[in-house]
Amino acid sequence: MIYAFLTLWIVGALLIIRESKIIRMIIYLGIFSLISSVCFYMFGAPDVAIAEAAISVFSTVFFIVCFEKHFGLAVGVSDVTPESAENRTNLKKYIPPVVFTIFLFVLFIFFIPENPANSYLKDQYLSLFSRDVGGENSVTSIYLGYRVYDTLFEALMLLVGIVSVTHLSRYCETSVKEGKPSDINRADIAVFTIRVICPVMLLFGIYLILNGHISPGGGFQGGAAIASFFVCRYMIYDIYDIPIERIIMVEKIIYVVVVLLAVLFIFIGLHSFLPLPQSVYLITMNLLIGAKVTCGLIIIFYRFIAFERR
Amino acid sequence: MYIFWIIPVFLILYIIRIIIGPSVWDRLLGMNLVATKVVIIIIAFASLYELTYLLDFAIVYEIFGFISTIFISLFLMERKKGGKK
Amino acid sequence: MQIAGNIIIIIGIIFMFFGVIGIYKFKNFYSRILISGQIDTVGALTVIIGIAVKHGISFFSLKLLLLAGIILLLNPLATHITARSARLSGYLAQEQEPPPHDKKDGV
Repeated sequence: MIYAFLTLWIVGALLIIRESKIIRMIIYLGIFSLISSVCFYMFGAPDVAIAEAAISVFSTVFFIVCFEKHFGLAVGVSDVTPESAENRTNLKKYIPPVVFTIFLFVLFIFFIPENPANSYLKDQYLSLFSRDVGGENSVTSIYLGYRVYDTLFEALMLLVGIVSVTHLSRYCETSVKEGKPSDINRADIAVFTIRVICPVMLLFGIYLILNGHISPGGGFQGGAAIASFFVCRYMIYDIYDIPIERIIMVEKIIYVVVVLLAVLFIFIGLHSFLPLPQSVYLITMNLLIGAKVTCGLIIIFYRFIAFERR
Repeated sequence: MYIFWIIPVFLILYIIRIIIGPSVWDRLLGMNLVATKVVIIIIAFASLYELTYLLDFAIVYEIFGFISTIFISLFLMERKKGGKK
Repeated sequence: MQIAGNIIIIIGIIFMFFGVIGIYKFKNFYSRILISGQIDTVGALTVIIGIAVKHGISFFSLKLLLLAGIILLLNPLATHITARSARLSGYLAQEQEPPPHDKKDGV
């Protein structure tokens, strides 16, 4: 059963590689994300699967907005082909994926999870996380406790990406001031139903963030769910009244607070002095990371939609 | 359960339809169908191991798939004037 | 209870199989989207109801009914938006449509 999904996974990846039309590539990428999240569920990693679902939505949205801006009107119906992909021989396209697939199979055969050298660290983490960091979801305890360096650098990478997007994208203030309406022809029934769906997304994001230390979920997944609320908002109302400069400031301040909290609680060990339960640290960090991810995705989305409009 | 053996067959057939589908909207339709099948697989998985929290994620998968389908079709519809028929 | 649930699930899978036949049989895009969209929504709903019947009255089946309501709300709408996008973009089926009384393709 699980081998069927793994085979489908590899087939989806090969489809994306050998396709040369952009809009088909985006659709194949969505299917690949769906199948890979099923594989993650079957391997017992619901945190990763939720993150994959959120990433699939946002990668689809960002890719389609970007390519539509870059290739103009031709991307949709007429299936534009980039010129660089045409003159390549077909055989060379297949060599890297085939080599990579063989490598994966060899790795899959030789990697045995029951090897004692592999399970030593896992046993130590699983037996000690409740005492060291607190919380009931061991994944949250690991990425906010033992591996807090990784979390800080991921947050920094997101911040760097946002700064580069705002720096490199074309700034056109007049179209934002005038509130130039796009020519999207919205269906009334879709607008009504999205209005019903929007609060569910918002509620689900808050639920994921606040329950991040008990159930699967956490800051990134909840933040992406809340940011998808703003994607829905764009599909309902055609207004760009998001104060982007202020949101960038808020995000930088939140990043500083995240670094300060991690340094105070993990490196200095403040929770041993204070009479607080340990889950306060986890909930606060999840809330801050969720707010940061929400701000970042909102900035990238509205920057692409509004500021890059020709 | 037998669902786990039947749904991959459907998925393979949908993917073949997506590959040979003549227009963009055929592929979009196939993506929508694949998203529904993924939701059903997650439900069957939750039912097999009695994991109630997976149903929340099935709900959010449904909504995420809906959002991406609607977004792609809105942006394809916007290309009405320049595209060929 | 288990047997009744299994029977309902098998009926749902048969509905889905009709949907798979539908997307291969018809040459016209609008026929395909009509058949597969409708049949697939019904199939998904039937499978969910079957699993809920297998679990009896519990918290699990209550959540399943909520999920069935959301699928009933969202899935036909996605099909509608796809067909509307194709129609408003001026996409007509490449093959010539048969006259309505000529060919007994569907209902």
